[in-house]
Amino acid sequence: MIIGRYYIDHKSVVPKIVIGALIALVAIFPLFTTNMVTLSIIILSGIWAIAVMGFLLILRTGQFSLGQAAFMAIGGYVSAILTVKMGMSYWPSFVAAGIISGVIAFIIGIVVLRAGGIYFSIITIAFGEIVRIVAMNWESVTQGASGILTHAPESLTVGNLEINFAASVVPYYYFMLLLVTVSALFYWQIDRTRIGGTFRSVAANPVLAEHLGINLMKHRLIAFTVAGLFTGLAGAYYVTFLSVMNPLIFDLWKSVQIMMMTIVGGMGSIVGGPIIGATLLYTLGIYLSRVPIPNIQYLVFGGVVVLLLLVLPKGTGLVDQWGKLWRRVFGEPEDFQMPGEEGMDEE
Amino acid sequence: MPLLELKGIIKFFGKLAALENIDLQVNKGEILGIVGPNGSGKTTLINLISGYYRPTRGTIYFDGRKISGLRPDQIARLGIVRTFQSNVLFEGASVIESMMISSRLQYKTNEWQAFWETKAYKDEHEKIVGNALNTLRFVNIFNETFRPAAALPHGFQRMLGIGVALAANPSVLLIDEPTTGMNHEEAMGVVENIREINKQGVTVVLIEHNMRVLLNIATRVIVLNFGNKIADGDPHEMMSKPEVVEAYLGTETL
Amino acid sequence: MPPAGIWIDGLVQSCIYMTMAFGMVLVFSILGILNWTHGQFYMLGGFVVYYAVTAAGIPFPLSLLISGAVVGGLGMLVEKVVIERLTSPGYGILSVTAATNALIFFFEGAAGMGFGLMNKGMATVLPGVLDMGSFGVSYQKIAVIVFTLIIMVAMYIVLNLTKVGKAIRATSQEPDAASLYGVSVKWVRVIIMGIGCALAAMAGGVIGIVQSVNPFMGRIPMIMSLLAVVIGGLGSLTGAIVGGIMLGLLNSVIAYSISYYSEVALFMLVIILLLIRPQGLFGAAPK
Repeated sequence: MIIGRYYIDHKSVVPKIVIGALIALVAIFPLFTTNMVTLSIIILSGIWAIAVMGFLLILRTGQFSLGQAAFMAIGGYVSAILTVKMGMSYWPSFVAAGIISGVIAFIIGIVVLRAGGIYFSIITIAFGEIVRIVAMNWESVTQGASGILTHAPESLTVGNLEINFAASVVPYYYFMLLLVTVSALFYWQIDRTRIGGTFRSVAANPVLAEHLGINLMKHRLIAFTVAGLFTGLAGAYYVTFLSVMNPLIFDLWKSVQIMMMTIVGGMGSIVGGPIIGATLLYTLGIYLSRVPIPNIQYLVFGGVVVLLLLVLPKGTGLVDQWGKLWRRVFGEPEDFQMPGEEGMDEE
Repeated sequence: MPLLELKGIIKFFGKLAALENIDLQVNKGEILGIVGPNGSGKTTLINLISGYYRPTRGTIYFDGRKISGLRPDQIARLGIVRTFQSNVLFEGASVIESMMISSRLQYKTNEWQAFWETKAYKDEHEKIVGNALNTLRFVNIFNETFRPAAALPHGFQRMLGIGVALAANPSVLLIDEPTTGMNHEEAMGVVENIREINKQGVTVVLIEHNMRVLLNIATRVIVLNFGNKIADGDPHEMMSKPEVVEAYLGTETL
Repeated sequence: MPPAGIWIDGLVQSCIYMTMAFGMVLVFSILGILNWTHGQFYMLGGFVVYYAVTAAGIPFPLSLLISGAVVGGLGMLVEKVVIERLTSPGYGILSVTAATNALIFFFEGAAGMGFGLMNKGMATVLPGVLDMGSFGVSYQKIAVIVFTLIIMVAMYIVLNLTKVGKAIRATSQEPDAASLYGVSVKWVRVIIMGIGCALAAMAGGVIGIVQSVNPFMGRIPMIMSLLAVVIGGLGSLTGAIVGGIMLGLLNSVIAYSISYYSEVALFMLVIILLLIRPQGLFGAAPK
């Protein structure tokens, strides 16, 4: 059951086979090109998408966190410190990064979720800054501004196939796909089942929901913790791929970017929107940074986001337009009916 | 022992006293009407019982257990459920979705079972959807099941409000002005509903402006004026007491 | 007890945070949104004053007014083109939040392209030190405090004694009441955004005489004034002033007492305060 979706539900408009074909195309993409740069862009977009999904899950409970990049930083530092400083092998430290980030999200959540609305957003900014400052100054552990150089994950052996991360970027690509798929499925399942409905009710009318026996804090905390866990994993993987971790990689402005990716991608779907938003804005950022005029990338990036927000109809994002486009080109599917057709979408 | 008991309840907003020293018992199985002019503290009383406000002083007991100081959701889970006068909608939700949110308390399956959609969960879910539909039939808005709640006419929204409260499995139902803005027919439907709910063993506390409605169903009435309880007893006797008539006729027309 | 110089430095910062927080609250109370681009208007104001003083040779006080007018006009444009549309019914709060955040990148990029990334200082304005016996205070710091006081007094006059000010205060309490003064709500919103941005710009211009200006100078004051706003209570103008002064002094004194994690301590303090008093010091209590 779903609350608050009067957008066109693209999943019931665009045939599943088309979505399946797109996924298949992404899966076999390295067969066409093993270009390091192209694959890197896709890998990093995918990792951002995981963080954006986390932001959106928290948003489902009506709060928006501007400290999500801090959880990526925590994940990144945990894996970097465990592997480089304590000599652990990568994979257990990757899992540990997610768990520790989730635990920190839980503890922080107990404190900061008591503040609602805009206060919550500002407190999460303060939290993100605290993480950055600590990372900057705690030299003995984080190596301060110079950062930690990480090494590639150990090769894995599946059956008689050896996956060597040091040799090529393709294994990173497939592990990214695995990570995105697992997180996306998890988020998607949360969003469409009972607890997702409860989340939306907490956002839609907290007072009424609380009087119907729903523990607001518990649900906000669940969303915040789950998001913290996956965002931490994303951060740990991001750092491994970049092979360096320093306090500037995940600063406040990355949290802000996560928010922009969310709204540009669209909030109608917890998986589709983040993937589209993250891929689009991250790719845009990368290509802009190649323009030889200094600083123009910030100008164009900001300008494009503002323009998109002004052009897209009422608070919808790109994913919400996908179904519309499909219908315009291929016509209405026969059994499709807009939810809440009785003139509600103009509310 | 009374089911619900308020002892020495005082509520201040800043320096303004909304309720001054209220003692009140609600007995199991009755329909208790609360009347009084605007600003006499009726809604504040319900807000205190449901946990939306905390009393400045005094204690509230439910079934012998202290409930003042608990959060609204804890109180709702104990079985005290309220309706709101105006705050009735989950923005964007359809009628059945609103019902399913308040049906949360009926589930025995935990969040993990719901997340993995186990068979136990699915069976239970089906049953609870059935209950919700029955409740909608009971409050006479079954035909609106799939409409957005915000698109319903005002009267239907009030009926949905009662339906939503019922789905939360109340043993005590606090109803705040259920017939405001309804035509006579709709109001009578709601009166019938309340009587039927009460017959099935739910204790009802009812705030109502419309004296005719109240005299029709309440088994006992208390009268509030300026945050004080000025009368308590049988509804028909009540209306012959001069202080009640004065408090009431002074500001309201019957 | 920290030496007097630390308190003076804190007071200089207080001036900036107070002016910025005041503008932010002013915008919030009428438009119902936080203007996340506030720090960049502050930065642009710094540049306008810098170029007016160094390139055009305009006297400093006049440059301040010019920067207020130019950047205020820019703020009005932003209100008219971006904010008005994104706060119309149907849009969530997130749209306008994302847009004003995107404008941060936009303006910083523009400033970087136009003015370069180098620090630019106006050390030539008001050199010299006032000898106070045991310690000295530079005239520049005194100027920051004096100009801020002048700006705030002017603000008080505008808000309390002019017709526009009355319409503004009426609108913040009752949006429909503004029409009683013959001013449309839309117009009040534009004016308020202009005033808020002009305040930020003048703060940026004032600080230009003690610190240097660069395209990223708006980021930290923005975060600090956000914190000042929530300390004081969202929507309370008194709160913005008190919050700004508190934060500036605290920042300076804490940084003096503990050098390493001073900002962490400051943020912790703010978080603890918000948890004890979620509505801020001067905000209306919820429920």
